[in-house]
Amino acid sequence: MEQIRITINGKECIGQKGDSILKIATANGVYIPNLCHYEGVKDYGACGICLVEGEGLPKLMRACSTIPADGWVLSTETDRVKRARKVALELLMSDHDGDCVGPCSLNCPAGTDAQGYIKQIALGNDLQAVKIIKETNPLPASIGRVCPHPCEKNCRRRFVEQPMSIAYMKYFAADKDLNPAAGTRTYQPEPAKPTGKKVAVIGGGPGGLTAAFFLRRKGHEVTVYDAMPEMGGMLRYGIPEYRLPKRILHREIAQIANLGVRLINNVRIGSEGTSEAFRNAEPITLESLRKEYDAVVVAVGAWKSSSVGCPGEDAEGVLGGIDFLRDVALAVDPYDAEGKLTRTIDIGRNVAIVGGGNTAMDACRTAVRLGAENVYVIYRRTRNEMPADEEEIDDAIEEGVTFKFLTNPAEIISENGKVKEIRLQVMELGEPDASGRRSPVPVEGKFETLAVDTVIAAIGQKLNPAGLEELELNRKGIIAADEGTFRTSLEGVFAIGDATNKGADIAIAAIGEGKKAADVIDSYLNGSMIPYQKPFVSEREERTVREELKEKGKLPRIVMPKRSPEERRGDFREVNLGFAEEDVRREAGRCLECGCHDYEDCRLIFTARQDQIHPERLKGQLHPGFVEEKLVTIERNQNKCILCNLCIRTCDENAKKGILGLVGRGFTSVIKPEFRDPQVIAGCKECLLCAEACPTGALKIIGKHE
Amino acid sequence: MKIVVGQGSCGIAAGAGKTYEAIRACMKESEAFELGSTGCNGMCFLEPIVDIYEGHRLLKRLVNVDAAQAERIVSAVRENRLEDLSDLAIRAEDEQFLTQQTRIALRNCGIIDPVDIRSYQERDGYKALEKVLKTMTPEEVIEEIKVSGLAGRGGAGFPTWFKWNAARQSPGEEKYLICNADEGDPGAFMDRAVIESDPHNLIEGMMIAAYAIGASEAIVYVRAEYPLAIIHLTEAIKQAREAGYIGTNILGTDFSCEFRYMAGAGAFVCGEETALIESLEGKRGMPRLKPPFPAAAGYKMKPSNINNVETFANVAWIILNGGDKFAAMGTENSKGTKVFALTGKIRRGGLVEIPMGQTLRHVIFDIGGGIRGGKKIKAVQLGGPSGGCVPEHLLDTVIDYKALGATGAIMGSGGMVVMDEDTCMVGMARFFLDFTSKESCGKCVHCRIGTRRMLEVLNRIVEGQGQEGDIELLEELCYSIKDGALCGLGQTAPNPVLTTIRYFRDEYEAHIQEKHCPAGECRDLLMYYIDPDLCKGCTACARKCPADAIEGQVKAPHRIDPEKCIKCGTCMSNCKFGAISVR
Amino acid sequence: MSNCSCKDDRIQALDAVLEECGHDAGNLITILQNAQEIYGYLPSEIIYYVAAQTGVSPARVMGVATFYSQFRLEPVGKYLIMLCKGTACHVNGADTLEDVISNELGITNGQTTKDGLFSLKTVACLGCCSLSPVMMINDEVFGLLTSDKVISILNEFRNKAEGGKDA
Repeated sequence: MEQIRITINGKECIGQKGDSILKIATANGVYIPNLCHYEGVKDYGACGICLVEGEGLPKLMRACSTIPADGWVLSTETDRVKRARKVALELLMSDHDGDCVGPCSLNCPAGTDAQGYIKQIALGNDLQAVKIIKETNPLPASIGRVCPHPCEKNCRRRFVEQPMSIAYMKYFAADKDLNPAAGTRTYQPEPAKPTGKKVAVIGGGPGGLTAAFFLRRKGHEVTVYDAMPEMGGMLRYGIPEYRLPKRILHREIAQIANLGVRLINNVRIGSEGTSEAFRNAEPITLESLRKEYDAVVVAVGAWKSSSVGCPGEDAEGVLGGIDFLRDVALAVDPYDAEGKLTRTIDIGRNVAIVGGGNTAMDACRTAVRLGAENVYVIYRRTRNEMPADEEEIDDAIEEGVTFKFLTNPAEIISENGKVKEIRLQVMELGEPDASGRRSPVPVEGKFETLAVDTVIAAIGQKLNPAGLEELELNRKGIIAADEGTFRTSLEGVFAIGDATNKGADIAIAAIGEGKKAADVIDSYLNGSMIPYQKPFVSEREERTVREELKEKGKLPRIVMPKRSPEERRGDFREVNLGFAEEDVRREAGRCLECGCHDYEDCRLIFTARQDQIHPERLKGQLHPGFVEEKLVTIERNQNKCILCNLCIRTCDENAKKGILGLVGRGFTSVIKPEFRDPQVIAGCKECLLCAEACPTGALKIIGKHE
Repeated sequence: MKIVVGQGSCGIAAGAGKTYEAIRACMKESEAFELGSTGCNGMCFLEPIVDIYEGHRLLKRLVNVDAAQAERIVSAVRENRLEDLSDLAIRAEDEQFLTQQTRIALRNCGIIDPVDIRSYQERDGYKALEKVLKTMTPEEVIEEIKVSGLAGRGGAGFPTWFKWNAARQSPGEEKYLICNADEGDPGAFMDRAVIESDPHNLIEGMMIAAYAIGASEAIVYVRAEYPLAIIHLTEAIKQAREAGYIGTNILGTDFSCEFRYMAGAGAFVCGEETALIESLEGKRGMPRLKPPFPAAAGYKMKPSNINNVETFANVAWIILNGGDKFAAMGTENSKGTKVFALTGKIRRGGLVEIPMGQTLRHVIFDIGGGIRGGKKIKAVQLGGPSGGCVPEHLLDTVIDYKALGATGAIMGSGGMVVMDEDTCMVGMARFFLDFTSKESCGKCVHCRIGTRRMLEVLNRIVEGQGQEGDIELLEELCYSIKDGALCGLGQTAPNPVLTTIRYFRDEYEAHIQEKHCPAGECRDLLMYYIDPDLCKGCTACARKCPADAIEGQVKAPHRIDPEKCIKCGTCMSNCKFGAISVR
Repeated sequence: MSNCSCKDDRIQALDAVLEECGHDAGNLITILQNAQEIYGYLPSEIIYYVAAQTGVSPARVMGVATFYSQFRLEPVGKYLIMLCKGTACHVNGADTLEDVISNELGITNGQTTKDGLFSLKTVACLGCCSLSPVMMINDEVFGLLTSDKVISILNEFRNKAEGGKDA
């Protein structure tokens, strides 16, 4: 056989005369992106991805089918090739109506594979479910209880009846894992072999703990410093006991410690130790940590309450929401079976909470439990605009909280320096603002007055930058961290969570940043920092999904059983009673499994990610799509089909069956098995070659239909 | 004398069949003159056409002859008083349409009776085939074609001799000669005219080519939309077989070759040669990957050669008159003549065959008589969906593969659609993309989805929903599709868009930025309006409105309901008071 | 063909075509054209029948029948209006004519009127560009159309159909 030499992307390749460019490239270890080529099947030339340009050759060529001549100099990276390939990928993705991952996962700041763990829960594999969750979140039992679950807001099941109860299913599985059945063990990941690198994490809240957890798993030596007596940050001191029993949190933190993360409490960076043990030691400063450690993660959170901002707010009895919750948390004994306080906290009979978020809900419900008779929530908009969780609002109402909608504090009136009344400006909703929310405007001259003993301002929280003066802050007085790398102004110092950029957010957001930062820091410690980049994924258009789900049978959402309002007003014991096992399994079965079964192996998305593509600019009509479930052991999802014809070609050439064929012409053509005649379908010998050859998730092997 | 009625498809559409029947009905049992029929002489704008001959000499050409004139014509001919018919005679000015042409491919069109082989033979028919079979080797035939400089008339302009030679050199006993008569370009009908009006010329050209490459079968793949062409071709094949020009041991030589046709079933992409072969094999007409090329493995994976109808229509003439005589016409790199189907807003539309090297302006103004209705010419579209628009200021470009290519258009198969100031160029681009996206076979991504996305962008522009950046997006799609599409259909589909952007970018910008169609053609961007001061309330518009969109009392100003209005313009053309205008 | 009520002259005619075409897969398009000529469209039983007779898989026959615009899988009206949308017709206002026809008959491209009288199909080019805009109703070509002319032609066909009923 005659040999030829060609050059591809600067690399000299030797091949047999008569072989295609793609074959020679592959044999010489040069990657040429391609989709519709498949070993053992005749080339077809549909995808237009394997284009190459040759020096002195006028047209771009398909590597799969072009036979090169000796001496050709080829490239897959000229501007012309890149443009044509990028457009081909954008065109394909613009007509590929499929979800790579479930919309639940996409909306989760930590990107938790909800569909993946729900499937394991449905199968009864709770340990496996926890394993999946802990790939993104080390605190599932805690987060499962308190997360406002953005995943559920995006759940497609909402188009049918109601979203899945995703968060509580996580809570169920994680609790199961914490209390393993006889003969099984709690899931405990192992750290990788030691790297010799040391990382300090400042702040033991959800973000810091997550960063520590994942850095430790990568083999680094990790120490977490926290100013409070116990780890957990806002989960420990901001979320009331009745929502998250602290013994659960402790056990999850203990698992992180078990992994080999060193946890040190009562250390406030830059100041003397707050406990006896550190009273006389040298203060630990950012500077000293930088010297001792290879990297430092700042995850100190946002612990300063914003003030009400009206006259009289300096009076005694005006509290910050966070401060109030922390004081109560410090007084709760998580191991007391009655859920009583270790000491009394007097807030009087009448309490007003200002704000409409979850902190306001936590504060008002806590106030109820402290014995306040009249608890008011003062909010300047209406319930529709409240940022707090629906469920939290309902619970608060059940527990007797009075909502004063469309009111805003105008003045706090005190007597002898102590709060006596709060004067409220009555508001009404005006025109929608930029965010689409209707902004409240005062109704001139209309006021209302409430007699109160305590006013709690739950209207926001900010970073307390003490001890972190060396770090550059942004205009809002928050640490400026790079979006992709979490780098701060100091070399080797990274910052995440509530202390950075946009400020306070929900716990799972901090957890998401903790994981991402751990990956970036790991790469940094390995010598080359790789910024986090949101991977490109294919997402379905809502309108086609809605259309498709019209006919879907309804299955009601599971409801979390709770203690009665009367009962729970009196103590701090957990309100939720937890799901019964059979209910959870049934609930897990409601999952529509939006994410693609083929995501890990999908050649289409793999190839699409080789280039920076923007298919959204080519959004348009979609080819006719449908899901056909009854073709023997294969489910065919035409929405995802990219018409590479590999299924037809393997059926023809390998299976010698010719069962599949193209119907129609051009953009509207679809692949169909021989229509209507069951006899011919019966001819399928179920070799599954077509499903194996499919470069994307259009064909799925399922159990045989009866 | 002989009365000959032109009965090509356009002639029949204009009523030639009725004229013919009426003349026959007026004729008595024994007349001293005959009635005959011929194909299309290309003067479509004058159909139905009746020629009166004395022997081979044309005495009088009567135009726009409807059936009512039959009586007059018959008696004038009978009494030999042709001067009585002068009101029907062609005007001298219109005669220029033919006198300025040089006809080789169309040399018999409109002159002979297409389904009478003797009529063809009388004009040297089949003499070239005889010469080739009896005095020339296949190599000599190929050499003669090489000397002529004949290039593929289907559009690409590839040297014919080269293809023939490749097929000849290709090893194998079984070879095929195929004629691409799947004339799919909207606005082109040259091939239809040749098959309808001179089918034997096609057969003879193909048999010569079959001899040159060593084919054992010659096949015409003809558009199903051309029923008359198929009838004439069927009849001509039968006659040629009977006369011994088709079959075994043709004209007593060792050469044997079968001949047949297959009717296509409606797919533009089958004009692409490998798609045509797939279709010929009874499959979906989807292009194959090349290599192998058809010359090596085409129909039934045997060596095959494919040429277009017009290419074959030149072959017999070249053999008889010599390749050098053909090459003497035209330019450095474009030899011989080219046939164009001149249509659109032209005064004299029809078939034009002229030597290469003449200017577009000459064809449009001197032969075609310029624009109808005193409007200004804006551009001329060449090459249909694969071609482009040449603007008015480039009309002095000569007809030559290279020169036309430089404008961004192509020579194409011969469609030449003339547009005036009322034609929206964005709408024109949209029209072609609508066509190509519907005709895309769907095999490759760039064409299947790319042309669809281009159409969507163009649609939104003409609907007034265009966005900033759309022109650039179109350009990026265009260049990527040109580079990435698998076959000629996709690779050339962006041409109409690229040329209109190149020459009429301001029209695109007006649509996108001002939501205004400068040509006043994009219906979503215009509104019909009745001026109440000018409206007399005559109700003419309301009565004619096909959408019942006009209301108003008699003798009171009327009003158009913009919701109902379909913007057809009927009201405006029916208003005697000029009260209706477009905004 | 067991459930086909038309084992009659038509199937015999189709058999003759199949015979003439040698039951050859290579002649599939010609066979389908003839089948459509015989039946007016391609009923699904006929697609199966042709597949069985030529040895081509039904999926492939279906693929061919849906690729070419000439083939129809549904019956058409008594009068098939083929409105030319070629370049010359476009330039001379074919889009407006389509609106006029749609408006007049209450159908859009590809549809058939409820009374089964008219079907509308737009076609790429009828090759009568010099008479543009053009339409063809069954085998008859109408050129140099205007909105008025189209409506009066449609009315003629309506009257013809009614006359036919009376007779």
